[in-house]
Amino acid sequence: MAATFIATHNLEILLDHLRQHGDLYGPVRGDDGAVRFAPLLPGTAPDLAALRTLLPAKKYLLHPCETILNFTADAGYQLPIEVVSPSILFGLHPCDLAGISYLDQLFLGDEPDPLYAARRSSLTLIGISCTPDDYCTCYRTPSPLAAQSDLFLQSVDGGFVVTSGSPRGDELVESVKNILVECDLSVPEDTRRFFCAPLSQRHLPETDETDPEWQELADGCLGCGACSVCCPTCACFDVLEFGGLDDVSALRVRRWDNCLFKSHSQVAGGVSFCKDRAERFRYRYRHKYRGFGALEGVPACVGCGRCRVVCPAGLDLRPLAERLDGGAP
Amino acid sequence: MNSHLPVSAVITSAEALTKNTTLFTLLTDRNSAVAAAFLPGQFLQLSLPGVGEIPISYCGYLSADGSIELCISHVGRVSTALKSAVPGASAGVRGPFGNGFPLSMYTGKDLLLIAGGLGMAPLRSLLLALRAERHRYGRVTLLYGAREAGALLFLDELREMKKCGAIELRLAVDRIESDSEPLPDCRIALLPALMDQLEVDPARTCAAICGPPVVYPYLVAGAHTLGVADERIHLSLERRMKCGIGRCGHCAVGGYLCCVDGPVFSYAELAGIEGALG
Amino acid sequence: MKRLRLAIAGLTACSGCQLSLLNCEDELPELLNQCEFSFFPLACSPAELAGEYDAALVEGCLSMPHERELLLELRRRSRYLIAVGTCAVWGGVAAIRNGEDRGELRRQVYGQNAVACEMSEPAPLRNVVTVDADIAGCPPEKEELLRLLTGLSRGALPVTVDYSVCTECRMRENLCLLTERSELCLGPLTLGGCRARCPSLSVPCEGCRGPVPEANLKEAVEIYAQKGFDLKVVLGRLHRFWPGWNQ
Repeated sequence: MAATFIATHNLEILLDHLRQHGDLYGPVRGDDGAVRFAPLLPGTAPDLAALRTLLPAKKYLLHPCETILNFTADAGYQLPIEVVSPSILFGLHPCDLAGISYLDQLFLGDEPDPLYAARRSSLTLIGISCTPDDYCTCYRTPSPLAAQSDLFLQSVDGGFVVTSGSPRGDELVESVKNILVECDLSVPEDTRRFFCAPLSQRHLPETDETDPEWQELADGCLGCGACSVCCPTCACFDVLEFGGLDDVSALRVRRWDNCLFKSHSQVAGGVSFCKDRAERFRYRYRHKYRGFGALEGVPACVGCGRCRVVCPAGLDLRPLAERLDGGAP
Repeated sequence: MNSHLPVSAVITSAEALTKNTTLFTLLTDRNSAVAAAFLPGQFLQLSLPGVGEIPISYCGYLSADGSIELCISHVGRVSTALKSAVPGASAGVRGPFGNGFPLSMYTGKDLLLIAGGLGMAPLRSLLLALRAERHRYGRVTLLYGAREAGALLFLDELREMKKCGAIELRLAVDRIESDSEPLPDCRIALLPALMDQLEVDPARTCAAICGPPVVYPYLVAGAHTLGVADERIHLSLERRMKCGIGRCGHCAVGGYLCCVDGPVFSYAELAGIEGALG
Repeated sequence: MKRLRLAIAGLTACSGCQLSLLNCEDELPELLNQCEFSFFPLACSPAELAGEYDAALVEGCLSMPHERELLLELRRRSRYLIAVGTCAVWGGVAAIRNGEDRGELRRQVYGQNAVACEMSEPAPLRNVVTVDADIAGCPPEKEELLRLLTGLSRGALPVTVDYSVCTECRMRENLCLLTERSELCLGPLTLGGCRARCPSLSVPCEGCRGPVPEANLKEAVEIYAQKGFDLKVVLGRLHRFWPGWNQ
C-alpha cells in the first residue's frame, strides 16, 4: 500500500524540526535505568524500545499537586493564570493516547476544566507503535477509547510509516516533506487496532460482595497508592486549601487521590462510605472497568500494565474484572 | 456561571440553632445562579477562604434579595472553623449542583417528608418551596425525629406551618434530657416509629427522605409498608463531593455520581447498590 | 485582628521540631503578625505559663513526672493541643527500648553510680491528654508547621494525610527502592507528607513519620522477606520510631 515513510536515520532531523514548534518531550531512560517522559533536548535520544514510562503522560495535563484557585481580599477567588507554551509529546503508545482520550472526555466535557483545557490545546501528540509485553493487556479486551494522535509513527523495516490524524498533523507532515518518502510498503497492523472498539451495551449485574477474591486483594494491598498514581486514566483528586502568611490570602490545590485510601470516601464527622479495603476495591473495579457518571459504560483501563508493574505486592485487579465481566464484550 | 469559580459572599447572620448547629444567612450577587436558580435538595459548595470548601444543601428557598440560608452542623474541619464566623465574614459560594427533589413529579401529589436530625435542613428548603405554591400539592405530612428535644431544628416555624394548616406534623425524639421542657406534640420514639398508624393514599403519595444513613433502611421499609412505590421514594444522600461537577471521583454510588445524578435518588435507582444507603 | 496566642513546649526530645519552626526565618516575621509566641521556653524568656492559649504545640514524649504536669497544665489552658513531631505522636526514638527493664537500661548507660530519677516508659501525648491534631515527622516539614499555624489562625485544625510515603514517592516519579533495588525501604508502612524526602535522594525511608493509617504490616513483612530481610531486622528498623509495631 502507498505509505509515507521516514528512515530511522532521519528521526533526529524530525525531532529537531519538532523542537522548533514547541517544547519537545519523550521517553528518556535516566541514569537509574528508569524511563520517564522528560524533555527531549538536542542530543537526548528518546528510548523507543521502552514500553512504559514510570508515570503516564497525564502528568503534563494534571500535575500531581497544583493550584486551582487563588484567594485575595480584593479579588476574592480567582482562577490561576498559567502561561502555557506549545508542547509536543513524542513517543506515545496507543494505550497512552487512549488514556489521554479518556481524560479529554472527563475534563473537556460540558464545563471544561480551565487548566486542563489550556494545557491540552497547546499539546501536540505524536504516537508510535509498540509490541506488547507480558504486563500489557491491551489485546485482551478491546477498549472503546480512541488512540488518537496528531501524528503516528508505525515501525517498519528501516524506519517508520508516518500518518497524520489531524490538521495539526497534516501541517507537520507538510513541513518535513523533505525527509519523508512516498513509497509502496506492506504495513503490519499495530496495537491501535485494540482501541476504538464499539461501546458495549451489556448490562452487568451488581458486584457480588461475598466473592472471596475481594478480600484477598484487600489483604494483599499495602495502600501505597502506586496503582492510581501510575494509571493513565486515574484522575480522582482531593481538594485542599492553605492560608497565606498574611492571614488573608489563600490558595486552593488539587492533588491526585486514590480510591483505596480511607479518606477517599469519608465525610464530615468521619463516616466512611467504603469502610474497608475490600469495599474500596469494588469501588475501584466499578470505576476502572464499568465507569460512572458521564463515562458510565466506558472501561477506563487501557491495558498499559503500569499498575501490575508498580504494585509492590504484585496485585492485579484485571483477572477478577475479566471474570466478572464475562470475558470480552 | 463558571462552576469552578466561587463567587464572593458575605455572612450576614449566624443564628445558633443548637449547641453545635448554626443557621447562616449569606448574601451574594443576587443574579448569580447560586442564589437565584436552585431547587430544594440541590447543594452548593461553600468556601471559607484559607480553610477549605464543603458541600452544603440549601436550607432556604429562593429569596428576593438573593440571600442564601445554610444550616451547618459543626462536625468537620471546615464546619468547625465556621463556628467562629461572625456576620461580616467573607465566604465563597459556587453552585447550584446536583438534581434536587423532583417538584414536577410532586405536583398534584400527597407528600410525605421524613427528616432525621440535620436531614431537616434540605427538607426545610423543600417545605418552603411547597408552601410557596401550596395549591399545587395535596396533603403534606412531615415526620421529624432528632436525638433529643434540643436538637429539633426550626420547631417554631414548623409548628406555625402546622397551625395554619399547611402541613401535618409528627415529631419524635430518641430521649428526653433531664433539663428540657416537655414537648406535648412530640413522642419519645425512634424516627421510623412515626410511620406507624400513618394513613396515606399510596397511589398518590411521594416520600422525600433525608437523615442519617443508618435510618434509611428502616424508613424505606416503612414506606414500603405504606404501599409507596420505589420510584416515588426519594432519598437524599451525603457523600464527599469535592468538585460538584462529576470529576473528582469521590461520590460515586454504583454507576451514579452523587454530585451530578443526585444527591436525591429514588429508591428504584438505589436498590441493590452496595453501600448506597450507608 | 486578634493574634493567635501560642504555647510551644518541648518534653523528652531533641528540640529539633521546635528548631524547625525557628528555622522558618523567612516566614517568621510575617507569621508573627498572626501569632504570638506567648510561651516558648526554647526561644524566648520569660517562660512562665500565663492565661489561656489558642493552641499549645507540644514536642516530645512523656517520660518524667514534671512533663506530665506541664502537659496537663497546657491542656487545661489551651483550646487546641497539637502533638508536634513523631516523639509526641508515637513515642519516637526515646521509646525505642520500651518493654525492657528501665533500671537495667539506666545501669547500662550510666553505670552503677547512676543517680536515681523518677522516670517512666516514654509515651505519646495521647496516653495522657486529648490531642486535637498530630503533626508527625522527625522533624516535621517546615510547610506542615507553617500550614498548621496559618490554619489555626483561621480557626481550623490542619489537614492531615492518610497515605504512605510511597504515594508521594510515586508522584515524584522515583524508581522504587523496594521493588527495583530490593532495599529495606519502610515507605509502604510510613505516613506520607514529607514528599518522599529520603527516597527521592535514593535513601530508603527510615519510617520517621510513624505508621500510616491501616498499615498492612503482614503483607509488607512478606514482601521484605522475599527481598531477603527477616522479621527481626524489619521490626528492629520499625521500632526506632514507634515501639508499637508488632506482627
